[in-house]
Amino acid sequence: MLIECHDLNYQYPSSSTQVFQQLSCRISGPGFHALFGPSGVGKTTLAKMFAGLVKGFSGEINTDPKVRVLYTYNLERLPGWSVVGEHLTEISPPDTTKHLKNLTESFGIEECLKNRFSRLSLGQQNRTNLTRYLLQDFDLLIMDESLANVDEATRETIILKMKRMFSQKTFLYISHNVIEVAKFCKDILVLRDVQKPPQITVIKGQDHTGEHAPDRQALEQTMLEIVHAS
Amino acid sequence: MLHRRIYQFLIVYALGICMLFLVKFALNLSDYVIPSPMEVWTTARQVFLRYLVNVMDTLAVAVIGHILSIFMATVVGIIGRLTSGVGSLIKIAAFNIQAYPIVAVAPIIFILLGDGPASRLLIASMICYFPLLLSVLGVLTEPVSDIEHFYRVTGRLTWQLEVKIRVFENIAKLTTVVSGSATLAMVGTIVAEFIAADAGIGYTIRIALYQSDLAKILVALFLIGIWTSLYLVCLEWLGHLIQKKWQR
Repeated sequence: MLIECHDLNYQYPSSSTQVFQQLSCRISGPGFHALFGPSGVGKTTLAKMFAGLVKGFSGEINTDPKVRVLYTYNLERLPGWSVVGEHLTEISPPDTTKHLKNLTESFGIEECLKNRFSRLSLGQQNRTNLTRYLLQDFDLLIMDESLANVDEATRETIILKMKRMFSQKTFLYISHNVIEVAKFCKDILVLRDVQKPPQITVIKGQDHTGEHAPDRQALEQTMLEIVHAS
Repeated sequence: MLHRRIYQFLIVYALGICMLFLVKFALNLSDYVIPSPMEVWTTARQVFLRYLVNVMDTLAVAVIGHILSIFMATVVGIIGRLTSGVGSLIKIAAFNIQAYPIVAVAPIIFILLGDGPASRLLIASMICYFPLLLSVLGVLTEPVSDIEHFYRVTGRLTWQLEVKIRVFENIAKLTTVVSGSATLAMVGTIVAEFIAADAGIGYTIRIALYQSDLAKILVALFLIGIWTSLYLVCLEWLGHLIQKKWQR
């Protein structure tokens, strides 16, 4: 068990709307997992709870104290006083120089290194932001729509690269793309409205690693299950 | 930038003077109430150099007072950005004290410190300090979450980095506020000189006022306007340089 929650209850401050009611789930790593669901059901809130960024809930979130959880989202920015390359070098731990080179090549952001963050396209910005998180020491990285505005082919390359390079790490990928989560993820936590119990369902994904072509029928079946559960 | 500021001032000044002469001629007022253009010109030639020295004296006090208040506002702003009790206390105190007209306290300062430069300096600083402090506090207490998040979750966010991020993101706003408060520093110094000082252009205007010599006052106003504009231009240019260097 990497992270586990029991009977979570939560409502936003200064709001009477209940977001979670008796919610229980677990993420057992390593691997690429997903948190899927329609907008407004509380995906980001749950992810922030896992990362310890949202407090004031009842219930339990159990995790090993040694487990290092990082949460990243797609609207983050890098400071504008230096170019992207300088920034990435500055925040990279000393033993990650090789990783940095490898990631910038695989993510197609080599050209961005000489530019300031504000000069990049939205897709390049998101890839750059994800790169700097991957260079950090973590056990679970929560990616809240971190690959938004990135084209499908590049997204696939990035996910496969991450799965190969960080096979011992755990990822929780928040996305609205049903094909993507069904194809690449191991466990898919499908979250739905508090009025429709059970609020969370876990579906086994295809966990595609790129070695063989995915089983089309199995993929369609998974996608159907996700759609039914959401 | 320089041309624009000076032109703007000259236009406003010329319009004011024209209005004054228009009133004079329309109401057929005597030279004792509103002097003739020739009298203004003669007075200007007589007092120009002396008034220039006085304006420089006032400007020097205003600049030092302004620098002092920028420094104090930055220090207090940095402490005030804390979410602790000290930070909250500073914020509440700043909001309450700035609501009080500082000019009203000026006589007390003159009683305690005398009519030398120290009193002028203190009043100038106080008048431009609180608006500056409120802006600096506003900038430094407002998180730039989309940048700070990474540093916070990776344990890299020091207070110096936090201040750097917030200042960088609001550099244009801060530059405008600093330039704007320069006028207040000048106003503060002149007001102090009006009240009780024994030097500066405010003191000179006070004497001219006792003599009911509007020509002298008009010359003083002209010099104040020109030098304040020049000071503002210098500040805007400095701000522009900082922004250009940082965002190169």
